[in-house]
Amino acid sequence: MVPELVRMSGITKRFGGVLACAGVDFTVRAGEVHALLGENGAGKSTLMNILSGVHTDYEGDVAVHGEVVRLRDPADAQRHGIATIHQELDLVPQLTVAENLVLGREPRTRARLLDRRAMQRLAREEFAALGIDLDPNRPVGSLRVGEQQLVEIAKALSLHAQVLVMDEPTAALADAEVSRLFEIIDGLRRRGVGIVYISHRMEEIEVIADRATVLRNGAVAGSLTPAPEHRPQLISLMVGRSVEAMFARPKTQKPAAEARPLLRVAGLTVRPRTPRPGRAEPDGIDLSVDAGEIVGLAGLMGSGRTELLETLFGAGPAARVTGAVTLDGLPYAPKSPRAALARGVGLVPEDRRGSALTLPHQVDHSMVLSALSRLTTLGFVRRTRERASVLDMMRRLAVKAGAPTAPVGSLSGGNQQKVVLARQLMTVPRLLLLDEPTRGVDVGAKAEIYQILHRLADEGMGILLASSELPELLGVCDRVVVLRRGAVAADLDPADVTGDDVLAAAMTAPGGTDR
Amino acid sequence: MTLLKTPPALARLTGGRRELVDRLFAVQSLVALLVVFIVAILASPTRDGEILFLTAGNLGNIVRAVSEIGIIAVGMTFVVLLGGIDLSVGAILGLSAVGTATLMVDSGYGIAPTVPAVLAIGAVIGALQGYATARLGIQSFIVTLAGLQVARGLARIWSGGLGIPIAYGDGPLQAPPAFEILNGSINGVVPVPAVLFLAVGVAAIVVLRTTAFARHVYAIGGNEKAARLSGVPVTRVKVAVFAVCGLLAAVAGVIHAGQLNQGSPNDGAGYELDAIAAVVIGGTSLSGGSGSMGGTLAGALMLGVLNNILALNNIDANVQLLIKGLVIVAAAGLQRLRRGVA
Repeated sequence: MVPELVRMSGITKRFGGVLACAGVDFTVRAGEVHALLGENGAGKSTLMNILSGVHTDYEGDVAVHGEVVRLRDPADAQRHGIATIHQELDLVPQLTVAENLVLGREPRTRARLLDRRAMQRLAREEFAALGIDLDPNRPVGSLRVGEQQLVEIAKALSLHAQVLVMDEPTAALADAEVSRLFEIIDGLRRRGVGIVYISHRMEEIEVIADRATVLRNGAVAGSLTPAPEHRPQLISLMVGRSVEAMFARPKTQKPAAEARPLLRVAGLTVRPRTPRPGRAEPDGIDLSVDAGEIVGLAGLMGSGRTELLETLFGAGPAARVTGAVTLDGLPYAPKSPRAALARGVGLVPEDRRGSALTLPHQVDHSMVLSALSRLTTLGFVRRTRERASVLDMMRRLAVKAGAPTAPVGSLSGGNQQKVVLARQLMTVPRLLLLDEPTRGVDVGAKAEIYQILHRLADEGMGILLASSELPELLGVCDRVVVLRRGAVAADLDPADVTGDDVLAAAMTAPGGTDR
Repeated sequence: MTLLKTPPALARLTGGRRELVDRLFAVQSLVALLVVFIVAILASPTRDGEILFLTAGNLGNIVRAVSEIGIIAVGMTFVVLLGGIDLSVGAILGLSAVGTATLMVDSGYGIAPTVPAVLAIGAVIGALQGYATARLGIQSFIVTLAGLQVARGLARIWSGGLGIPIAYGDGPLQAPPAFEILNGSINGVVPVPAVLFLAVGVAAIVVLRTTAFARHVYAIGGNEKAARLSGVPVTRVKVAVFAVCGLLAAVAGVIHAGQLNQGSPNDGAGYELDAIAAVVIGGTSLSGGSGSMGGTLAGALMLGVLNNILALNNIDANVQLLIKGLVIVAAAGLQRLRRGVA
């Protein structure tokens, strides 16, 4: 039997009156990847916060190497060999890779000065052991997220971590980086490191995890060996009901005559005044979206999906824009998001917290922000009208919030995303642009968001949906446009293609990758 | 400093009492003001059994004394909610006082052209600063630091470096007697500047609670990128906010000239810091996006009461400074604690 590194038994944790964990048993063995699944609010974070010493007042036992301990704080957990790689990485962007690696325990020379040579040697050794190639002298801020993550992993291992908790490690990674991360995780597994892998992405868990434990409402709902044939079972464990058809479209066949051209893009090319390294600007894009149509935008990271949506929303950088764009047959070249909104175009941006929400602000205020002009007289907000439209929108999108006045930050990721969506819908857009709308959203809320999109399309809205999740694109969209290096590589009908076809179109050459 | 010990003690309580703590914190500025007020009563010297602090004359003086800072702090609150800071308000006050005295006395204009002209100058300087922060992307700290120098320089040039006395009468080089009202009181009890302060304060509370403009201010202060992507006219709002702040500093300058019967180019130095102190004590976050106008009003009054009671007790002016410093730190500490609780 493989030795158990960590055994958590009967873990119960309350926040005020809320039961976050109820008698959870969870183990991590040496050399295994143990996936932890569950919808947002199922208790995953709480459980892992107990394991990493963040929460210290809980019932039950945590045993490390068979010995019951009570971890006082994250540093104490680190001393016991437990490290956490958070979604928001804990690195100092201004410092170099090597400096970050030894932060707080810098090697000194005899004169008590920084021993830069020892620092670099340590970094090189650590990277060599992991099999990664990174220059220790580069500032961390200049690395891509995937590389920063590797630094974080190296840092944890240099602190002799034996248990690594990874919280949605692939959420911000390009596909090529995901496969590199998986190679490294595989290497760690062979070194006998135990890994707790938290993710919403079934495909990944099936590839990388040896075991999967599903939490629901703070308790263990079940444990499984992840495999494609177990997927429906896993999902039903998570949501507590069977999701027979996540993408099901409750749609009556639309007569073809209804298809009305909404957005026409021809030869759209963007040349920013100051070039943005690492970004692919639109370079001769042809695209169309009809009213009532959901068009998917596929492509690898850096293929220009986000840049295209930004341009269409007037949120791009100062640039020379050429090509013809029409909206409802009229020329359309928005200078600002405000101008785009005025023309009936809405955007759900990629980075919910960074670009859409202020977490301490109230749900209702956040929802109406873009539509205030509809709710004011002489600049004064009409409270009753505001309240009515907020409640109406919360009902339509099934937003779960304590109250309309609750802070946005108190909502789950899926409900926060619904608030962002609601803000756009309040402006009654004709064309809705969505950039990764289900990132960091649990399965249940994902299905709800898909239903909402279908309903909006049926009501005649045109939708342009950029996503890096292929099942989502193929399951939700009427057409999928694949971008590569800022240009259209393919225009596919999801009924005729598989995810592999989309990926093949997104890559430059077979086997080669394009970032 | 008992006033500041109470909330942290409450914060240690757990369970159902948390809600009570939260509720107390929600009106913490008012609670704190009340506590300071009670402490002031207890600490007040008495004469013939009468509590000096509570005499109508003294209370009137307190509000009169804080009215200029208070009005400036109202404008400052908008700027701070936006995530900015305005260091130029004290200098704008000086410039406005000079402008008032010069236009009214030296140039012989009446109240009607003088006051609007002075207010316009303040608003324009503010608007320019707002435009510079919004369009050129320079931090407001730097823009208004420059604005401070410019306004102070203008005031000195305009006045020739000397205070311009305001005498009242109908003759040449005399100001219209009606202007003296700023130095007077209603019914001999309520000072006119105090009334103006409260009027400005109440108007600002209404604006902040009920207008789309205020929603935009909070949105920009909370997350400027998100605000822009949500269609908030960021530049316009910033220009307006700084214009309002400059305008209110000019209002304070006119009152200042009226109260002192002169326009001195060096007046108002350091007022920006008192105003920021009032805003911070009132619970508005310097990082923007959260805070209230009621808090600022309470903060300004609290500073006034504190100054007054220290003066009534003949506390050394330098010790007064020290105590004020501690109060500001304690107030800021309470804000952190509140976020910790929530």
